[in-house]
Amino acid sequence: MSVLSDPQGYWADLTRAEQGVTAFVLLFATLLLLGLLTGGLGPSYFLFLVGLAGMYSLLSFGLNVQWGYSGLINFSVAAFFGIGAYGTALASASSSPLAGGIPPIVGLFVALVLAAVLALLIGIPTLRLRADYLAIASIGLAEVVRIIILNEEGLTNGSAGVRGIPSFFEGWPVLETFPEAMPGVIISFLPGPDIVLQTPFWRALLNVALVLTLVGICYLVLRRVHRSPWGRVLRTIRSDEDLARALGKNTYSYKMQAFVLGSVIMALAGVFYAHLNLYVGPGDLNPITTFYVWVAVILGGSGSNRGALFGGFVIVAIQQGTRFLNELAFIPVDVAPLRLLLIGVIIVLLMRFRPQGVLPPQRELIWSGVVDDAPERPESGVRGAKAGESDD
Amino acid sequence: MVLDLLANGLVYSSILVLGSIGLSLVYSIADFANFAHGDTMTVGAYSALVTFGAVGGLGGAILGLPLGFFIALAVGIAMAALVAVVTEKVVYEGLDEVGSIGLLITSIGIAFVYRAVIQMGFGADFTRFDIQALRPIEALVPYGIRVTEHDVAIVVSAAVLVTGLHVLLQYTDLGRKMRAMADNPDLARVSGIRTDRVKLWTWVIGAGLAGSGGVFLGLFNQLRPRMGFDLLLLIFAAVILGGIGSVYGAMLGGFLIGMINELTPALSDLGSLLPLVPDAWGIPIGIEYADAIAFVIMVLVLLFRPNGIAGDEEGT
Repeated sequence: MSVLSDPQGYWADLTRAEQGVTAFVLLFATLLLLGLLTGGLGPSYFLFLVGLAGMYSLLSFGLNVQWGYSGLINFSVAAFFGIGAYGTALASASSSPLAGGIPPIVGLFVALVLAAVLALLIGIPTLRLRADYLAIASIGLAEVVRIIILNEEGLTNGSAGVRGIPSFFEGWPVLETFPEAMPGVIISFLPGPDIVLQTPFWRALLNVALVLTLVGICYLVLRRVHRSPWGRVLRTIRSDEDLARALGKNTYSYKMQAFVLGSVIMALAGVFYAHLNLYVGPGDLNPITTFYVWVAVILGGSGSNRGALFGGFVIVAIQQGTRFLNELAFIPVDVAPLRLLLIGVIIVLLMRFRPQGVLPPQRELIWSGVVDDAPERPESGVRGAKAGESDD
Repeated sequence: MVLDLLANGLVYSSILVLGSIGLSLVYSIADFANFAHGDTMTVGAYSALVTFGAVGGLGGAILGLPLGFFIALAVGIAMAALVAVVTEKVVYEGLDEVGSIGLLITSIGIAFVYRAVIQMGFGADFTRFDIQALRPIEALVPYGIRVTEHDVAIVVSAAVLVTGLHVLLQYTDLGRKMRAMADNPDLARVSGIRTDRVKLWTWVIGAGLAGSGGVFLGLFNQLRPRMGFDLLLLIFAAVILGGIGSVYGAMLGGFLIGMINELTPALSDLGSLLPLVPDAWGIPIGIEYADAIAFVIMVLVLLFRPNGIAGDEEGT
């Protein structure tokens, strides 16, 4: 059944958590829309936020493949994000100490290849390690990557970072000039001040289209992958690696595939970030990015792609929402620690009260056909209803 | 120059040892990698800062440090222990079903909470103890060693604390129980040890030592809300190098990692330092890679000798 044909039935079919999230998302969207209409929220900034949320969703997708599907504790998210951003930046930026001036679409592939190579370099030694050792080793290696990027000035410009990154669509036939070619639009029939849509708005719109495409492709691919035999092996590895091995699966190889796939998706987020922000620096590889993404994945529900999407949006709400608090004079503290506190409290509360996350992947893994077409009772012989009464 | 680096390495090692012991103790008894351990050090450092601000000029001086500093040190130790015990009671104790990975992730959240609270109170900038910086000890300068009395105080205090822990572990009832629990918690429980109480004492001792490490780190460098978190990975490297769960291994690991860290500049003229090696030999690597070297060592140890240099062969 779908939302359109039977909204009431659809609503009743959701779990309580899903209802809560849906209501929350609707409320939040309404709020944003109100902000947009009354002029409290600039349209370009709004699109920038959507772009950021898409980026965090990509990162969460990537981590989800590693932690959610296969149980790999990867604490080097920031390194892959950074290598993606630096990969495309060093290829395409005007201030790049290496190449520079290469079309961004080539930079994209450079970044993805770099990320895959880094994933192999980190994965080959560490993926055999016990879970908590993997966590410590991967955060250590991520720091090594950050220290190299910070200090190898000949390769990366060091602490100055890379500037002069072109927008992703530079060199494309129509899209390159699309933002400038579009006329300025003034919307004045709404209450509140007039809304003026100009070049920055159209540029932001292009970025959002880009990230939504990336998110959409990743989501579809991952949903397919998760339900495939390959995904089932990963889930088996996650819940009982010895069992998977006993069934004749080369678990190391599967874990490596999942690790590389997840890392490449994280690098994709980095590529988008580089062309959104037009500047990358070593600070983008700080471990805090890793922890943000972990919060997004745990909050959403490990293994759940919808959850990852939701988590990505919540992270942006925390990150950017706390900026607004700065403008409220009655809050005496600085915003940076407040954000840190919020993230910390969310982690603790989640692990305490809902370790499986807000949207656990309970039904994502079930083909609707299997549920709907299954007979209520076995056709013959066996007594009792069909097995598997609990729904998780 | 090498003597100077060795001397500074000894000071830095003392701080790392104090941090490593607690991490190792908690790892073996509470059974998870505590990512909040570094920030526990920060808690100790800032508690001492506040206390020292209140009792600062008190009394005479030992090794260039006013007596008030030692009171501040004691308060720092006590606060770190208190905060850790409260966290254990309020947070970790209720988390039975999430396993060691869940506890690990929770401890990251705890680390953020500690750091955020400190940053709210003191800002993100550097501060220092209000103690006059000393000149290097005159008698040692001719040998090229530039250490202050404060550095000596750090090493001596660390030695006293570590010796105290050794006595506690080897000669007291509590120490025997802790060793039994670290060895095999289930066996310890069935032989009638009140494991809850031992666990609590482990938190007190581990966090207390971390607090002292934080205070000394503040004296050695400066204080800043990220100080402990930045040290955390080095402490993990030390604990893993020594062998997780082994207190004496953690001491050895902390010592080695601290030394390697401070000796990094000497690597580039290795040839002229070692006898029988051509002078031109050396590893051209800057001090900025000191931490990276420690992390690579950590990963190598995990790969080839996951039980560390002092761990048993069978291990976990």
